[in-house]
Amino acid sequence: MGHAKINSPVSKPMDTLIINGEKRQFSAKEIPRNLSALLAQLGVKEATVVAEVDGQLIRAKEFASTPIRDGQRIELVRFVGGG
Amino acid sequence: MDPLTIAGRTFRSRLLLGTGKFESNEIMVEALERSGAEIITVALRRVDIENPQDDMVSAIDRERFLLLPNTSGARNAEEAVRLSRMARAATDIEWVKLEVTPDPYTLLPDPVETLKAAEILVNEGFVVLPYIHADPILALKLQDIGTATVMPLGSPIGSNRGLHTRASIEIILEQARVPVVVDAGLGLPSHASEAMEMGADAVLVNTAIATAKDPIAMAQAFKLGVEAGRLAALSHPRAPQRQASASSPLTGFLRDE
Repeated sequence: MGHAKINSPVSKPMDTLIINGEKRQFSAKEIPRNLSALLAQLGVKEATVVAEVDGQLIRAKEFASTPIRDGQRIELVRFVGGG
Repeated sequence: MDPLTIAGRTFRSRLLLGTGKFESNEIMVEALERSGAEIITVALRRVDIENPQDDMVSAIDRERFLLLPNTSGARNAEEAVRLSRMARAATDIEWVKLEVTPDPYTLLPDPVETLKAAEILVNEGFVVLPYIHADPILALKLQDIGTATVMPLGSPIGSNRGLHTRASIEIILEQARVPVVVDAGLGLPSHASEAMEMGADAVLVNTAIATAKDPIAMAQAFKLGVEAGRLAALSHPRAPQRQASASSPLTGFLRDE
């Protein structure tokens, strides 16, 4: 005994995403598989958002087919009032 | 009123409205309605992850209003191009109000970076409406590379100071082959009228309407000011004279001479 930690979940490092400049950590189970899933997890309505993943522009219709991986930088932007 | 044409699209209103600084979406929507505006500007910002439901654009009827995304916040050409591409991806609209304002204190536009960004965006098929200082040489260069308008400022953004760049705007108007939209600093309907009387094709207003105590009434006031100014310009007003000129005949007075 004493060797069980190799497969225990706590030993696995957390996955990290940088979302709008802020670091967010996810356990391996929690990390969303694609951009759609991430937005759903964050409670953001897809239709009003445009995204960049590691500097690459992603349109709303491509969110579901855009996989998310540990370490990516994600920008989520939308329109606000402006002159 | 005679229609305004920008990049092949025709508009009845010559007042463009900004959507910033309104107290609520309800007041903004009512002000948009009352202003008669058909082109309205919006900005792009990061989604507030803590408050993800906040979404002003859903309050706007996209069938009735053309969204004109701006590149506010861009400090150089590269940032402005990035914002423009994002805006296009979000709306499928190619129109962009190009603004590059590196100095947050004056918010004055950077002419070098604006020209650089405009060249890139025009080449990528954008309809570019650049916000500029009232600089006739820059205005010429921009229309030469294919921008859809030029948008010289009256005075700094949000300052309500009015048309402090009159002499330069006169030159821009004389040279213009694209619509001239006077943008920024117009604080009163009379300022908008003045710009339109000079021959400007349109004006863009935000702060003066959004921050008035009654934004809805002010939106209508600007609508009327723009219309009055346009009608005056089309009427070819007479130049000011040094001497008085009587309105009534100088004969038939009720007195014996």
